[in-house]
Amino acid sequence: MKRTVIKRNGSEETFETQKIMNAIFEILSGMDVEDDYEIVFRIMKELDLKLPEKVKTEEIDQLLLKAIEQLIPQHPMYDKLSARQLMKQINKKIDRRLGDFSSYLDEGIRENLLIEDLLKFDIDLLSSSMDYSRDELFGYFGLTTLRDRYLLRDRNGETIEKPQWFFMRVAMGIGNSNEEVIKMYNKLSRLEYLHSTPTLFNSGTPMSQYSSCYVSVVDDSLDSIMDKAKETAFLAKHAGGVGTDVSRIRSTGSTIHSLNAQSSGVIPFIKMYDTLINSIQQGGRRRSSQVISIQPWHLDIEAFLDLRETTGNSYFRTPSLNTKLWMPDEMMSRIENGEPIYLFDPGECPELVDSFGDDFAKKYNERIEQAENGELHQFKKLEGQTFFKKYLFKLAKTGHPWLIFKDEHNRKNPCPQYSVINSSNLCTEISIPNRPDSTAVCTLASLNLSKHVKPDHSDFDWEKIGDSLKTMVLGLDNILDKNFYPSEDARKNTMDLRPLGIGVMGFAEALVDLNIAYDSEEAVILARKLGSFMREVCYEKSEEMAEERGAFAHYDDVAKNRTGYEYKPRRNAVLLAIAPTATISIISGTTSSIDSYFSNLYSRDTLSGKHIVINRQLIEELESKNLWNDRMANLIKQYNGSVQLIEELDGVIDKEVYKTAYEIHPRRQIDIAAAFQESIDQAVSKSIYIDEQMRSDMPDIYTYAWKKKLKSTYYCFVDKVIRGEKYTSSVNKRGSRSGFSGSAKNAKQAEAVGESANQTSAKKRGFGAAPSKPEAESNEELIVKARSKFGDDVVNEALAADGDSCPTDPMLRKICPSCE
Amino acid sequence: MKKLIARTSVRDNIELSETPSYPIFKELYEKQKKAIWFPEELNIQQDALDYHSLSEDEKDLFDTAVGYFCSSELLVQNVLVNSFFPMLSDPHAKMSFSTQLFMENIHSDFFEIVLQSFDMDREKMYQVAFKDPILKKKQDLIVEEIDKISYGKIDPETLQGKKDVLRAILLNNIVMEGIFFYSSFAHFFALKDMGKMKNVVSGVELVLIDESLHLQNGIESILIMLEETPEIAEDTQYVNEIRDIILKGAYLEIEYVQTKFKNKIILGITGSELEKYLKYITDRRLEELGFSPEFHINENPLKFLQKEDVKKLINFFEVSSTEYTNY
Repeated sequence: MKRTVIKRNGSEETFETQKIMNAIFEILSGMDVEDDYEIVFRIMKELDLKLPEKVKTEEIDQLLLKAIEQLIPQHPMYDKLSARQLMKQINKKIDRRLGDFSSYLDEGIRENLLIEDLLKFDIDLLSSSMDYSRDELFGYFGLTTLRDRYLLRDRNGETIEKPQWFFMRVAMGIGNSNEEVIKMYNKLSRLEYLHSTPTLFNSGTPMSQYSSCYVSVVDDSLDSIMDKAKETAFLAKHAGGVGTDVSRIRSTGSTIHSLNAQSSGVIPFIKMYDTLINSIQQGGRRRSSQVISIQPWHLDIEAFLDLRETTGNSYFRTPSLNTKLWMPDEMMSRIENGEPIYLFDPGECPELVDSFGDDFAKKYNERIEQAENGELHQFKKLEGQTFFKKYLFKLAKTGHPWLIFKDEHNRKNPCPQYSVINSSNLCTEISIPNRPDSTAVCTLASLNLSKHVKPDHSDFDWEKIGDSLKTMVLGLDNILDKNFYPSEDARKNTMDLRPLGIGVMGFAEALVDLNIAYDSEEAVILARKLGSFMREVCYEKSEEMAEERGAFAHYDDVAKNRTGYEYKPRRNAVLLAIAPTATISIISGTTSSIDSYFSNLYSRDTLSGKHIVINRQLIEELESKNLWNDRMANLIKQYNGSVQLIEELDGVIDKEVYKTAYEIHPRRQIDIAAAFQESIDQAVSKSIYIDEQMRSDMPDIYTYAWKKKLKSTYYCFVDKVIRGEKYTSSVNKRGSRSGFSGSAKNAKQAEAVGESANQTSAKKRGFGAAPSKPEAESNEELIVKARSKFGDDVVNEALAADGDSCPTDPMLRKICPSCE
Repeated sequence: MKKLIARTSVRDNIELSETPSYPIFKELYEKQKKAIWFPEELNIQQDALDYHSLSEDEKDLFDTAVGYFCSSELLVQNVLVNSFFPMLSDPHAKMSFSTQLFMENIHSDFFEIVLQSFDMDREKMYQVAFKDPILKKKQDLIVEEIDKISYGKIDPETLQGKKDVLRAILLNNIVMEGIFFYSSFAHFFALKDMGKMKNVVSGVELVLIDESLHLQNGIESILIMLEETPEIAEDTQYVNEIRDIILKGAYLEIEYVQTKFKNKIILGITGSELEKYLKYITDRRLEELGFSPEFHINENPLKFLQKEDVKKLINFFEVSSTEYTNY
C-alpha cells in the first residue's frame, strides 16, 4: 500500500521502507545473530500490519518498538532489540534538550528536582567514570519499568534522566566522597546490587526518603489509635509500606471504664486504616500500602480472618489493607496436638501481648485455667485444627492473612532490652524491636546473585560477593543519616538501633548457571552457605565501622546503664533481611528474591502494564542444542510454561533444572528459606507456591514451615484451575464430533468454501489496499521463479504460511520485507 | 429419552441423576462455579486518574466498549431467560445455563460499577449500542432473530422449531459472546498492555474467563442438538444460512472496528490488525462448529494477547489480582 509520513512540520512525504530497515539494521549492529536479514524481515512483517496509511514521524519509532516487542516470546534476541530501540528513543528525546550529565544536574537543581548538595562532588570526574555501554545490560521489561517510574522527569512529565545518570544520581545521594560514589555507581550500573525502590526514587532529590518499611505499634487507647493514624498517613505519603500491630486494642464487648460502656472492638478501627490508606493511594508513583498484624488469640480474630472477603458487611471489609497473623508457638503446638485454642480480650489479659516463648505459654495456660473456672469476663474456646483449617482456607481464597511466627522472631531478637518485636513489616522480612513510641524503619538493598557467578560457572565468585556486601553495608549506613524521617517515633528507632536490611535476588537464575536444580539438597546446602557468608562479611564490616563511627546508641546505652550485650560492638543492631524484591528484580532482569523461576513463560502485571517473561537460560540451552523454534515455543506455551511433560526433551536437557514454582514441592521451597533463615538476623520473606492438587495439604505445609523455624511466610499462591480460552493457540473444543461438517453435505460445503475463498481474495485487496500483481503472471510461474531464487525450503515454508500475511505478493511473504 | 431442547413443564426435570444424560453440562457447571468472582474484589476506583488522562480516541474506545457491555450483558440475560430456558429439558444443562445467567449478572454489576466510578453518562452509556449506527446493526442482528423464538412462538418438538432454537443459541453464545465480545476484549487488553486502566481490565480478564465458558455452553448445546437431530445438518440450505450468519456477524464487527480505527493508531493497534484478528477469531468459531474456515488466518495477529494465555504473576501491591479462586 502507498503510505505517507507526516513530518513534524506538517509536510508529507512518501514512506520509505528502506529507511526503517536501515534503522533496524542499526539497532542490530554488534549483536551476534545468525541471519540479520531474517530478523529484519520478521520485524517488518509485524510492522506492516501496524502502519496505517498516514503515519506521523514520531509515531513510527513507537510502532517499530511495538512490532519488535510482539516477537519477544519467540526469542530473547527480540527482547534485547526492544530494549535497544527503547534506549534509542529515550536518548533521542533527552539529547534534544540536555547535552550532558552536568547540564542535566543543572536543570534538575534549577527545577528543584535535585538537591544542590550534589554539586559538591567532582562532576568532571564522575562524568568520565560513567560507562554508557552498560545500558546494554537491561532487558526490555527492566528498561520499561525504569523509564516509566524511576527515571527523573521534569515538571511537565518529560524524562530528563538517562539510565546511567540515574545510577550516578542514586550513588551521589548515598556516597560521602567521590571515591565512594564511583564505587557505588559501578556496582549499581552493573546491576550487581540495587537499593530498594524508595531509595532509587528519592536519592539525591529534595524528597530524601530512602526507607521502604515502617513498623508501628498501636496502644490500647483512642489517643494512640488516632496518633498512629496520623503517622500512618505521613509514612504512606512518602511511599513507605507500613506495618501496624493492633493486638493491644481491646476486643468487642470489652469494658471502656471512662464511659462505662462496651467497646465495639478492633475491627472498626482497622476499617478506619483501610479508608485512610486508600485515600492516599492515588497519585504517587507507587501505591502506598499497609499491613495490619494481630495475635491470633485476640477475641476478634474470626472477624479479622474475614477482612479480605469481598462479600458481607462492607463495614467489616478492608479491600485496601493487607493482613497477617503474629502466631505464638503455644498456639501452633495446640493446633498440632489437636488441642483447643482459647481467645481472650487483650483489654482483660494485656500481659499476653508482650510475652513470648515459654513465658507466653505459661501466662496463656494460666488464663485458660481462669477461663475454665469462670473467672474471666470474656473468652472463647475453639477446636485448634478446625480454626487452622478455616484460616488456611481464607489464605488460599483471599491471599490473606499471612502467617508469621511471633516466637521465632523474638528468640533471635538482638536487643531484648530495647523492646520485644511486636510485629513485622508489609513484606514480612523485617524483624526489629519496636514499641508504641518507637516505630521501626528499614532501609533495604539486595545483592544480585546472578551477577556474582564466576565466568566459567563453576562456583560463586565469593570474593566479589564479599566486596559488594561491604559496599552495601557502607551505603545503607550512610543513608540512615541522610534519610528524612516522616515521624519522630521513626527517627528514634533508627537512631537507637541503626538497622539495615541486606537481602538477595537472582538466586534461581544463579542456580541455573551453576547447573544446580532448585529442587535439590544441593540448592539447600548452597542457600545455607550463602546465608552464613553474608552474615560473616556484613557483621565484620559493621564491627569495623563501629570502631570508626561508633556502635548503635542502644548498645552503648545498655553497656553503660544495664547489663551489656555479649556480642562485639557493631554499627548496626541488625543487618540482613531477604525482601521479595518484586520490582528491583524486574529492573535487574533476574528472578526475584530466593524464589524459583515462576514459570518458563509467563506474563507479569505491574504498574507499567503487562509483560511477557521468558526463561532466557532455558532458550539459550535449547538453542545450543538446535531445539529452539516456533514449534517448541508453542509447546511450552501449551504446557503453561512447563517443560516437564515435553517428551522430546527427555535426556536432552536436565529438566530438573527448569522446574517452575508449582512444580517444586512446598517443603523444598520451605527448606531453602529455612537454610537462609539460619543466618539472616532479620527475616526471610517467602511466598509459597502450592499446586491446586495440594490444597488439602496446606495444614501440613504450614506446620512444616513453623517446625523448620521460618520466621515469616508471605503470599500463598495457589495455581488457578480455571483459565480463559487460549487466545493465541487453538484448542479443539469439538473433539471428534462432526458438528456441521456431516458427510451429507460435504460437496455443498466445498462449494461454499470455494465461493467464499473467491470473496476473500477480492476482499483481501481492499484490506491490503495494495495494487495487485498483474493477473497474467500466474501463481505457478511465480513459484517456479521463487524456487530458483530462494530455494525449495523457503518457498515451501512460504506456501504453508498464512494467506493474509503479504497482501501484495503471496509468494514473497516470507522473503520480502515490504509490500511496496 | 427427551432431547436437550424440548417442550417442558414445571413438573419436568426436578431430579438430578448420578449419571447425568449430558455429563458435559455438569462439568461446565462445576467450572463456572469455580470461576465465580465479585466486582468488589477489584479496586476500580484506582483507575480514576488514568481514566481522565486517556486521549480522546482512547476514551471513546473505552466508553463505547463499556457502554456496549452494559446493555449487552443484560441482553444476554433476556435471551437466556425468555428464549431457551423454557425449552431446556435437562436439569444439569439448566444448572449450567443458570450459572451463566448468574455470571452475566455479575458482569452487569461490574460494568455498572465502572460506569459509576468514572462518573460516566449513564443514559448515554446504555444507549450507545442503539445510537451508534453500526453497533445498532450488531444488536439488531441478535434481537430480531431471537424475538422469533421468544414467548412460545415456536414448537421445539418440530424440526423447524429446533432449527430456530439452534440459530438463537448460535447468535447469542457464538456470534455475540464469541465474536462481538471478543472484539471488545481486545480493546480492553490493549489498554492494559499500555499500562492503562489496569484494575478495570483485571475485571475484564475475569469476564473473559467466564465468557469462554459460556461460549462452550453454546458450542456444546449446538453440537448435542446436531447429534440428536441429524436432520438439521442435512438441510444444506439451513447449514449455509448458519454459516452466513456467523460471517455476517464477523463482517459487521469488522465494519465497526474499521470505522472506529479509520486510519488511526489507537493504543498501538490499527484497524487492519483488528480486522485480521476478527478473521482469526471467526475461523476459530467456524471450526469449532465443524465448518471449514473462511479466512485461513492461523495466527493471532495481536501478539500481545499471548500475555492472556500464560500463567500470571502479579505485583500484588500494585494491581488487583485475578489469580485467586473463590472456591
